[in-house]
Amino acid sequence: MNTSFDLNSLAGPARVGIGGPVGSGKTALIEKLIPAFQQRQIEIGIITNDLVTKEDAERLRKSGLIDPERVMAVEAGACPHTVIREDPTLNIEAAEQMTINFPDIELILIESGGDNLASTFSLDLVDQWMFVIDVAGGDDIPRKKGPGVLQSDLLMINKKDLAPYVGVDFDAMYSEAKNVRENRPVVAINSRSGEGVEQVVDYIVSNLLFNKAMS
Amino acid sequence: MLVLNDIIGSVNDEDIAEKLHHHGHHDRIEFIRMNVADTARSRQKVTTDKGTEYGIALSRDKRLYNGAVLLMDDQRAVVIRVNEEEWLRLSPVSTDAALELGYNAGNLHWRIRFDGPDLLVALEGPAQRYIDRLSGLIDAKRVTVIQP
Repeated sequence: MNTSFDLNSLAGPARVGIGGPVGSGKTALIEKLIPAFQQRQIEIGIITNDLVTKEDAERLRKSGLIDPERVMAVEAGACPHTVIREDPTLNIEAAEQMTINFPDIELILIESGGDNLASTFSLDLVDQWMFVIDVAGGDDIPRKKGPGVLQSDLLMINKKDLAPYVGVDFDAMYSEAKNVRENRPVVAINSRSGEGVEQVVDYIVSNLLFNKAMS
Repeated sequence: MLVLNDIIGSVNDEDIAEKLHHHGHHDRIEFIRMNVADTARSRQKVTTDKGTEYGIALSRDKRLYNGAVLLMDDQRAVVIRVNEEEWLRLSPVSTDAALELGYNAGNLHWRIRFDGPDLLVALEGPAQRYIDRLSGLIDAKRVTVIQP
């Protein structure tokens, strides 16, 4: 048994999926997660999924936040969930290539293309997956009990600041999300201001990056 | 927190079984209980029945299974126990209903198996959550639900 903290040589980097509807703020969240992980000296890589373009990958490469080589793009060419659930081969290959290219990477974030509430990740691809919804999408989203909302390891409700402008009672929406998820974790975030992002990082570190959690 | 990153064998392996038997006599076996779905995770944080927290970080070509032994030393053994799955039995009353039921189960990406004319759905949450999705078929008495 190897109980050292050098997990990378044995298990490779941890993999976390980030899914959610179009426009819910997945890429904006990643733009906030990058510096948050960098601040904790955690090396990350990012794989984006788009339908037929590399739009999200290009946005992150040009952001100046991360070495552009550490951002890879997968073109789903079909419904985004097909390449994160039914046949995640393209993403698994990308993650393996990322691991070979950058052996120092400890965490790979895999961003799904914008999808519907039924989107879920295969656990053959990721160790944990998160789902982003936003208040502007409607306060009835938790009530619709989509698999993304129910089954994700962590649910994030984004754009909390917009709630008063779109007629949403944020506290009620948050409480309903906790209720349908039977008290599994829900985090309120604002991926523009960065509110809640540290909680997301804490969650990932605590559950997957054991060496960092102990340091 | 100790990180476990290998499966050293199965409780059924002869040499391991002998050591486990010895540990069992001294109440030194810790069990990690998990659902079938979670056996696919290469990396996860777990708590044993004795309250010890461990990190699991396996290489991605390995998969947890019922009876997998992750740690065995003089002080303790750590063993995976996979919870028995519960299945929701759905009985369609006609071929038409069976077709529609099959369509719904596929569209909802449920994990299923067949038993004669019945369709069984692996429960990864409360049964009612699945029943609600089929309310049209059930209310019309085209599908009968037999709960586990």
